[in-house]
Amino acid sequence: MLANVDEAAYGVQRKTTFWETLTSEKYFKWTLIIPLVVTLAIFMIYPMIYCLYYSTHEYAIALGKTPVFLGWDNYRFVLHDITFWKALGRTFRVLVMCIAGELLLGMGIALLWNREFRGQNITRGLGLLPLLISPLAMSMIWNYVLQYDFGIVNQLLEGVGLSKIMWWSTERAMYSVTFITIWKWFPFSIFVLLAGMKGLPRDAFEAAKVDGASAWFTFRKLTLPMLMPLIMIIVLLRTMWLIRIFDPLYGTTRGGSATEVLDWLVYRTSFVFFDVGVGSTLAMISLFLTIIICALLFRQLMIALGASK
Amino acid sequence: MRRSVWFWLATGIILAVIVLPMIWIYLTSFKPPEDIFTLGVRKLFIFRPTLDNYSYLFVWTDFFKEMRNTAIMAVASTALVMVVSLPAAYSFARWNTGGGMLLFVTISTRMFPAVVASIPFFFWFRSMGLLDTHIGLILLLFYFNMSFATFLLFGFFKEIARELEDAAMVDGYGRLEIFRRIIFPLIKPGASITAVFCLIWAWNEFLFSFLFTRTDAKTISVGISLFWAALNIQWGPMAACVGLAIIPTLIAAWFMQRYIVRGLTFGAVKG
Repeated sequence: MLANVDEAAYGVQRKTTFWETLTSEKYFKWTLIIPLVVTLAIFMIYPMIYCLYYSTHEYAIALGKTPVFLGWDNYRFVLHDITFWKALGRTFRVLVMCIAGELLLGMGIALLWNREFRGQNITRGLGLLPLLISPLAMSMIWNYVLQYDFGIVNQLLEGVGLSKIMWWSTERAMYSVTFITIWKWFPFSIFVLLAGMKGLPRDAFEAAKVDGASAWFTFRKLTLPMLMPLIMIIVLLRTMWLIRIFDPLYGTTRGGSATEVLDWLVYRTSFVFFDVGVGSTLAMISLFLTIIICALLFRQLMIALGASK
Repeated sequence: MRRSVWFWLATGIILAVIVLPMIWIYLTSFKPPEDIFTLGVRKLFIFRPTLDNYSYLFVWTDFFKEMRNTAIMAVASTALVMVVSLPAAYSFARWNTGGGMLLFVTISTRMFPAVVASIPFFFWFRSMGLLDTHIGLILLLFYFNMSFATFLLFGFFKEIARELEDAAMVDGYGRLEIFRRIIFPLIKPGASITAVFCLIWAWNEFLFSFLFTRTDAKTISVGISLFWAALNIQWGPMAACVGLAIIPTLIAAWFMQRYIVRGLTFGAVKG
């Protein structure tokens, strides 16, 4: 466009500069995403290709060997490894327990707080806190609070005449980790569901009230179906984040006490034993699992969205 | 009346479960070792207050360096995120560039396990001498925050009316000028919410800083983890460190409370 103006004004054919092409009507939208695409290529495509490459090689850095091509041997090794299956099982147990706990708590509290009350701002502000604290600090705090000898929970238990509980023992550590993860993330469910409840159409609820429907009936037949898309979004996002649970373990059990989950296994294989081949294989499997689960959940989300409209 | 009693009882319990662990940490940070390990409920709140833990933290650890490092890297990575995400989110929201596919790929970087990405980056950074440097971690924090920031900004850009741009086009503004003069002032509130999110996440990030920094560029999260030495944990200084490290996020929470709730729920509610 600018070139045409020049042409008209000076009667010369001026070549459009590179910058003009970039900001022209046709290419501007692509210009804007160049930085993003470059970033994606560096930070996403590169690691993926790297992992795919080394997952087919034997490459243990600690031994100082050069990579040797193995084909599918690493995958075969991992899939026959009981440690992997145990870690996978734990990951899914934490996943299911956390999401169930967070959704139940979140829904209950959102229903409770879905009204005007005195001090609602400060209440909600405090409710937001666990979400903003660093996960590592959170896990260290809870490690301390749940200590056997001098943790406050055990001292209080003893104070009311009960016996102390080994919170970080092999049988209980996984549940303790689950508990602190729920503690950190249940506000997320609360606030997403609260926002959803604010947006619900009022007339349907008034009609239900006029018809004399019970609170439980209203919740089951009106609130729950209408909030279904949001619930699915929470499940989807939390699944994505929970499959990679790492920080809560670092401050508490450090993979001990039968709490080694998938990401901890990847970390231990690649950064403690420096076995890049097997580590990459585990990483690729973890990535595939995440993609498959998220794709399934994404379809459910689309169905839920379609049903609500 | 009975209803409101139950309501406040439930709310009180919820808030107690949230707040008590934190109060407990602050109490511990003022306790001398003998009171930390002492038993008996009465002693939980009655103790001889001391500042020893704080002086240990300030004198014997790199606390100030860690705080400074974290602040520098959080701010720098957030700036970088904004430079990349703002134009991209605008492009996605305005022209649906890439037909939604590209936006989905961007969001799915959050699906990508961070541990997976850290293996190649570790060896790559090592060969480039970026391990334990500010630049290295800034790049990783940028990668860590970019996708969600783009997603949030996408939602905010969607709210801006298209007619404004068309009017500006008629007035003869170029695309670049429209972005700078019309769109940017309107996106400022949304952009600041997104920036605060990025700051908080960068401040809290642990996995990357733990794997990629040792001494020079170590962050406060790494500092906290160092109180867990070989066998025992130094509870007193750790409590002091945790207590101070979470203060910036608490301040952010206090000022941004309303906006954070909005920002958090925004993407979810708008679908």
